Amino acid sequence: MDTKHSHEPPKLAIRFLEWYCNPEKLEEIEGDAYELFNLNLQEKGLSYARWKFIWHVITFFRWSNIRRRKPTYQSYTQAAMFKSYFKLGWRNLRNQKLTTFISVFGLSTAVACSLVAYLFTEQIWFKGVNQKNKNELYQIVYKVEQDEGIVTKGTIAEPAYELLNASSSKYQGLTRVWRGSNVLIHNNETYFPRTQFVDSDYMEMFSYDIQSGYSGALEDPTQVILSSEFAERLFGDSPAIGQEISLVIAEEEKFFKVAAVLEPLKDIEIFEFEVLARFDLIWSKNEDLILQDQWKKECWTFIQLKNESELANLKSTFDQIQSSQNRINLDQPYLEISTIPFTELVPMASKIDNGVIGFMGQGPIILLATIAGFILVLAIFNYVNISILMATKRLKEIGVRKVIGVSRFQLILQYLSENFLVCLGAIVFGCLIASAFFLPGFNSIAFKNLQLDLLGNWMVWAWLGALLLFLTIASGIYPAIYISSFKPITILKQKAAVGKKGWITQTLLTLQFTLAIIGIIGGLAFVQTNAQNAEREWGYDSENKIILNVPDPTKFQVLENQIQNNSKVISTAGSNSFIGNWINTNEMKVGDTEISTQFLLSDPDYLTEMGVELLTGQSLDELVPADHETSILVNETFVKESGLLYPIESIVEIDSVDHRIVGVVKDFHTIYFQSEVEPMVMKASNTKDFDHLTLSFSAGNDQEAMEEVRAIWREIFPKDLFTGQFQSQVFDGAINDARGVQNVLLVAAGLCIILAAMGLFGLVSLNLKARIKDYCVRKVYGAGTPGLAVGLVRRYLLLGSLSAVLGGGLAWYAVGGFLDSFFAFHSGVGLFPVGVSIALLFIVVLLTGAYQMIYLNKANPSVVLKSE
Amino acid sequence: MKRYHLGEFEELVLLTVGILDQEAYGVSVLEEIKAQTGRKVNISAVHTVLNRLEDKGLLTSKMGGATEERGGRRKRLFVLSSAGRLALEDVRNMRNKLFDQLPPFALDFSNGY
Repeated sequence: MDTKHSHEPPKLAIRFLEWYCNPEKLEEIEGDAYELFNLNLQEKGLSYARWKFIWHVITFFRWSNIRRRKPTYQSYTQAAMFKSYFKLGWRNLRNQKLTTFISVFGLSTAVACSLVAYLFTEQIWFKGVNQKNKNELYQIVYKVEQDEGIVTKGTIAEPAYELLNASSSKYQGLTRVWRGSNVLIHNNETYFPRTQFVDSDYMEMFSYDIQSGYSGALEDPTQVILSSEFAERLFGDSPAIGQEISLVIAEEEKFFKVAAVLEPLKDIEIFEFEVLARFDLIWSKNEDLILQDQWKKECWTFIQLKNESELANLKSTFDQIQSSQNRINLDQPYLEISTIPFTELVPMASKIDNGVIGFMGQGPIILLATIAGFILVLAIFNYVNISILMATKRLKEIGVRKVIGVSRFQLILQYLSENFLVCLGAIVFGCLIASAFFLPGFNSIAFKNLQLDLLGNWMVWAWLGALLLFLTIASGIYPAIYISSFKPITILKQKAAVGKKGWITQTLLTLQFTLAIIGIIGGLAFVQTNAQNAEREWGYDSENKIILNVPDPTKFQVLENQIQNNSKVISTAGSNSFIGNWINTNEMKVGDTEISTQFLLSDPDYLTEMGVELLTGQSLDELVPADHETSILVNETFVKESGLLYPIESIVEIDSVDHRIVGVVKDFHTIYFQSEVEPMVMKASNTKDFDHLTLSFSAGNDQEAMEEVRAIWREIFPKDLFTGQFQSQVFDGAINDARGVQNVLLVAAGLCIILAAMGLFGLVSLNLKARIKDYCVRKVYGAGTPGLAVGLVRRYLLLGSLSAVLGGGLAWYAVGGFLDSFFAFHSGVGLFPVGVSIALLFIVVLLTGAYQMIYLNKANPSVVLKSE
Repeated sequence: MKRYHLGEFEELVLLTVGILDQEAYGVSVLEEIKAQTGRKVNISAVHTVLNRLEDKGLLTSKMGGATEERGGRRKRLFVLSSAGRLALEDVRNMRNKLFDQLPPFALDFSNGY
């Protein structure tokens, strides 16, 4: 048979064998397989031989024949390879300083932004994570049935503490916690610190760093612990330990000695306080209270247990507490008393009523994360674009390496390891930028104390590591795959067209521009809204008015008389709460419809004095007796929501008493423009309800008037906190908040435009340099510089226009939605921000073009073309 | 030195390599075993045993010449080392010693092997 030359073994089987077989054994194995194939071919024919060959290949697939790496040998060479990769990478970066700077700067700012966002999120999501005993602490809570179903309450009746204390169950520590609002007096100055009352176990259960003094300070009920910031505010540079202060507790001044000062509290701490004092003090008059009232008082109670199994032992005491409570207070019986582990307090925050962690604002987190994400994406796009073009200078290196047998995987690895260097640099610079600029700036805007604590916070390390990995892969993988995909032959024949068709580059650039436009529109729209709101009418006259707090309503009349005696004062009016503050809401009935409205109690002439405009009917009159009893004023929103067509003389039922509407006033803003105007009912009342006094003074020196009024006030209330303020300043807090967000957005918008500009600049200049010979040849043939520059910039102008349309459209909706979520009153995005941001973008493109034109103009064809 | 206990198939392969003298490689061993004993063995099993015996020092090997029917690939030629010869003698001595101790009637069963 002479078929042996014309017949070959099955190709697939050969390939499989060559793929798996250890190269050292391949030759003999393959040879034997071939020889057997030929023997079989001669003896039994082709199909048998082929089948047998496959069988042999399969039987050769044994552990001893399979290709394996020899670890020692290979890793040694790989270490050397990585060293050489890093060296090559470093040289490359040094050779292209400008573009490297652009990439690293962009990535660093992005890292800094996301670092701020992370630290902000961390102190909300990981509250209390640095407490040493966090796994042994539990909060005692109870469940109760309310209108909305079964609710878990974070507090528990205060006598539970006594019962637990008296019980035989074992525990490490037990403390009640109560956030007080007490006036602190030192050197005849009053302060309003955040006080927290706890039991003496507290300092052992929770860990705090002590700056001076000793942690057992609270064993003595006449001592307090201060935070270092507050101690500095009180005593300045002089030592705080041993100083005397007094706290006003239940209208009684009590004296304390400062026995310890804590290191500054971090934002991640679960409790925020400036003064720590003994719990016994606030409710020390317990014996005087009737039993029922004692059990109605509730506070947070924490217990520390060595291990979880001890929880079971508490059951009997819990039952005892529950039965006592349910015997004494019948109206809302406890369904169950249970414990929540300290570490679960944050995840369960939304499910616990009156918990330690109240409202978890997700808004700021989302806002910051979005901004950080925007900038991160921008920077990565920037980097991807630039590094693809940077690689054009290295194509020959890649081609040569491929020819001498480097696999594609190795090239990708090399590129990624270089990229790792760049990203590491970016992370380091990002940390520097964050701690030098972004964090201090953000802290001052958001009243936070965020710090980059690299020594004490392992979570930051983990996060930075993850970010580094993400950046390396996200920014490096596409360029790596792209540049390693070229065939050596095209590279070495210089036919490789990097970045020419580059639809990815163009898409990325368009997206980058789009993001930048959205960012700028967001920032500008916010600025615009703030400016408009600054001009917006509040609905009343806020000029030349001072609001005084009245700590004790029984002294209201005295205060009013004294104030009226002052020559600067024109008129006064008392009120419960005041316009510009939170006002009580109440349920009211109009016919059959029930509506919940704000309910303002005041002197009859309060609204008149405030300059609120009366639309129909008449104001309340001090001289008409009915106006003191059953007459009410309502605002427009009330009329709208109650559906009354003829509001005047209509009857409104308040607390089962019929009231008569005598007048309708124009809507005015009691809260800043972040919220809608709510329906409001105003009723005259007498001084027993008044906790604020508003006075008008003759125009002139505001501060002088305030000083005089303050002096009068101080005489009447020597031991209370003076919170008097100008009516024109009631919205300052909200305005500052809005301005803070505005500043954050402006910084973000600025970064967006800088990043986009730098990205474009890098891209255009790299492109220009790659094709400079082309341009110089054209110059020699008489092309003018402007024409060349137009050709260079035209593509970017086109992309810019595309992004303008995309970004403008997207921003119109996205930013509009964002404004909606922040302001109830705004006039939308508007054309101004859109116009300005698009104009900015085109200016950037044109400036880049202009710079390149200068470069091109300077380029001398005889020099550029001479080298060949 | 601890003696290495040869398996039955190992002994067979070792013997075959000895018989083939300078011409022992995978396929020739396979064919020789088939010719001498009629046993059908798998080529990869032969390879495994050859490699194992070499690892134990009972065989030595070198690359031989390429032939056309092997698709131009060389053979790995195995030769019995002195340790291999010693091991075979050991086995034979042991067999003979045990065989001689068989009671007489057992001899009836010995034909054919």
